[in-house]
Formats: sequence, structure tokens, C-alpha cells
Amino acid sequence: MKGREVFLWVVGGSAGSFTPVRNYLHQMPYRQEMAILLCLHRMRNPRISMIEALGRVPEWRVLEPDDKTFVEGGFVYVAPADYHLLVEKEGYLSLAVDEPVHFSRPSIDVLLQSVVQAQWPRAGAALLSGANRDGAYGMYLFHKAGYFTAVQDPADAEIATMPEAALALFEPKVRFPISQLVEVTLQALSL
Amino acid sequence: MFPETLPEIADSDLEQFFQIMLTQYGYDFRGYAPASLKRRLGTVLKRYGLADMRTLNQRLLTQPDYCERFINEITVSTTELFRDPSAWIALKTQALPLFLSMPQLRIWHAGASTGEEVLSMAILLTEMGLYDRAQLIATDIDKRSLNQAQKATYPLRNRALYEQNLKTVFPLSSLDKYAREEEGQLVFRQELLRNVLYLQHNLVSEGVFGLFEIVLCRNVLIYFTPELQDRVVMKLVDSLVPGGVLMIGTKESLFWCSAAKRLVAINESERLYRRRQ
Ligand SMILES: C[S@@+](CC[C@H](N)C(=O)[O-])C[C@H]1O[C@@H](n2cnc3c(N)ncnc32)[C@H](O)[C@@H]1O
Repeated sequence: MKGREVFLWVVGGSAGSFTPVRNYLHQMPYRQEMAILLCLHRMRNPRISMIEALGRVPEWRVLEPDDKTFVEGGFVYVAPADYHLLVEKEGYLSLAVDEPVHFSRPSIDVLLQSVVQAQWPRAGAALLSGANRDGAYGMYLFHKAGYFTAVQDPADAEIATMPEAALALFEPKVRFPISQLVEVTLQALSL
Repeated sequence: MFPETLPEIADSDLEQFFQIMLTQYGYDFRGYAPASLKRRLGTVLKRYGLADMRTLNQRLLTQPDYCERFINEITVSTTELFRDPSAWIALKTQALPLFLSMPQLRIWHAGASTGEEVLSMAILLTEMGLYDRAQLIATDIDKRSLNQAQKATYPLRNRALYEQNLKTVFPLSSLDKYAREEEGQLVFRQELLRNVLYLQHNLVSEGVFGLFEIVLCRNVLIYFTPELQDRVVMKLVDSLVPGGVLMIGTKESLFWCSAAKRLVAINESERLYRRRQ
């Protein structure tokens, strides 16, 4: 499946999210009608790339998209370090080097906002552990636009700032412990 | 209101904006990728406390003086010295050696922004002993960025990153050779700019203006739709002598560009290409 037909599942997080996300990807059953957009904050010029750090994920194609990559199901698109990742109405992904938002590039807010602006037909998002409030406002916009939203339970998060910031703005469809991220994803996809 | 709120921008308001920019000022923004353009416009609205696009459109119509500043605000000038050092290593080891015996070396930086990329090239040429043969042309749509480029003066806080990038490309060199601190700023030696010409040029609406051995156009295409990328890359390739070298941004791709047929990769992962003979 390709372009606007694809269900977009955005996963955003920062400090304390990386290892859980890696485990999640290794458990997540393959779905050809869905693309996962991973937006995790990380160091500039890291020693090893995020793709290497994620390791080989069964079945899913994991990559850092180039600018104007057409969205395809069965892919995990990892926002490259030092670029914002945005979704375009026409069905492809754009990169941008606009100023960091909440000191973050990629920024989760920027990505989520672009999905809403593009009026993408089917999408959902999960916000995980993190040490700043990037993503909170974007999740709120997602929620307002009628998309499925899930926020990690702050008590379960290694660092609660990010999920707490989101919960201060709205009540998501689900709050979940990280161990249930696979179930939450499948629930979002089935709606 | 949350600090991160950005106003929604309707497609119809965008249409009017395109018309004003085109008919009043000759700037064609229709081919800019919408997601980021809308974001930039939202930022401008917020900065001036403008209620909506209609107000901004009005301002652009009635205040021609505002246009230059607006172009500066709507474009993204992010850049750095030796940005993506591995790409510069590829230029140094795989591209410049092709021109060692040439009497002249004409280089075009399209979308040069505030000038760090041109300075990187000037340093690269100096280190390789090629500077005197080179003529560099730095162009951008944004006049204010070009003015800054000509001053070659940057915030001191960039120093550590620039030094680190330079050392990645030239481990034995040092920023002290090329820049000094002055009144809390990092000032590059004007010597480095003696063969550089700065010109305002719009890649979208203006034609090719010369022939070059090397063309750099990095992190400019990402702001364009695939259709506009195709058109602009055609101009870039038309500006190359046969065998000339093109470098685009590390995350940019020629996937949508028909002119890709006229190029061969020197180093695909660093986005370094050569025009076929
Ligand atoms: C992100 S900067 C890239 C700077 C530098 N090339 C680098 O990679 O570090 C993008 C630049 O493209 C310029 N630009 C945008 N649209 C343009 C156009 N139509 N013609 C020429 N330059 C343009 C912007 O003004 C900005 O300075």
C-alpha cells in the first residue's frame, strides 16, 4: 500500500524512550497497510546511527527517509538527526532544517502538526517518555483533529515530563504502560 | 495560548499570497513544499501578531519595504562551516582531484545563505593550494543573508562546532588560521573572500548564468516540491561543464529529477555527481 491510503502511526519520545522503542519494533507484527514514523530526540552527530542502533527488525523495512520519499506501508521511517520530518498532502515525506522546536530537531510537534495540516485520512500517535514538552501540543492537535492518541502513563515512564505535558492539555484515547505499546498500536490500526 | 501554537493556514489564503508575491514582486512560491511553507508563514504571523493570512497579504500589498525582510523571514538560513563533514571529505578526495590540472576552477554555491558553505570551500581550496585559480559565485534569493555572508562574521558560540567540523576534514588544520575573535564575534579573514562574488539570484524564476566546474546546491531542494526539484536540478546540470561536479544535500535525492540521467554518481551516499561528457 502507498501514499495517502497508508495508516500513519507516529511514535514520539525522548530521554528514556530508545530502548523500549527498539524492543517494541522487534515485537510489532508486520502490517503492510501501516507505516511507522519514529521521531526520537537524540544527540547531534551520534557515534552510531539510529538505524544501526535499532538493529535488524524482522519484516519491517527500517530507514531514514530521504527528502520527498513516497510513504509506503510496511516501512518504519526514522526521522534523521538534525532534520525535521514532515508529512505532505501528496503522500510523501519532506525534510526541513528550520530552527529547532523545544531545542529539538527533529521535533515531534512539527511532525504531528504536518500530519494534521495534510489532513491525512488515517493516522494515530503515541507519546512516550521524555525530558521536555515537545510533542504535547502536537498530540493535542491530533486529538482535536479526531485522530487516535495514546500517551504513556507518566508513572510508567522513565522520565515523565513529556507525557505529563500532554496529559495537562487533553485526555488521550488511552494511557498505557510501555509494555502494551504493541496492543495499543493494533487497537489504533483496527479503528 | 501555548507558545508552540501556529495559526492554521487555508489553501485559499495561500493562493492569494502566491499571487501577490508573483505579481507584485516576481517571487514564485507555488512550488515550495506546502508543509514547511505553511509553518514558516505561521511563524511570521505570530511574530507580528497578525490575525491571519489575509492581514499578512494586505501588509505585503501595501508595504513594499517589508518584502526584503519578509524574504529573509520566510526562507530558512540554517547552515554551518563544513556541514556534514563526510561530504566535504568526499569533495576533497574524490572531486577536487579531478580539477588539479585545470587552469581555472569556477564554482557556484546556489542557496549560499549566510556564507559558511562558501567559506568552507574557500578553506578547502586554500588547504589544497587551489584557491588562486578559483572563482566562486555565491547566490541566494535572500539579500539579507548574502549581506551577512559578505561580512563573514558569526556568533562566537558556533566556534567549537566549526573547529570540530574543520578538524574532521583537515585534522592538522585549525580555525585560528582562518578566523579570529573580535568583539565577541568570530570573524573570518577577508582574504578568503577575495575570489568570491555574491549575487542575488532566484533558482526558481531565473535562468542559468554561467558555466561551472563545480556546483553546490545543498539543503535548498528540500524546500521544493518534486516538480520544482526537477526543474531546478535541470538548471544546475545545465550550468555544469561536461565532467563538472554537482553536490546536493546529504538527505536530498534526485529520484524525481529527469536530469539525473545526465549525471553519474561519484559518491552516491555523499550525493556527489558528475555530468556525463
Ligand atoms: C538551509 S539553507 C542552505 C545553506 C547551505 N547551502 C547549506 O547547505 O548549509 C537554504 C537557502 O536556500 C535559499 N533559497 C530558498 N529558495 C531559494 C530560491 N528560490 N533561489 C535561491 N535560493 C533560495 C534560502 O534563502 C536559504 O539561504
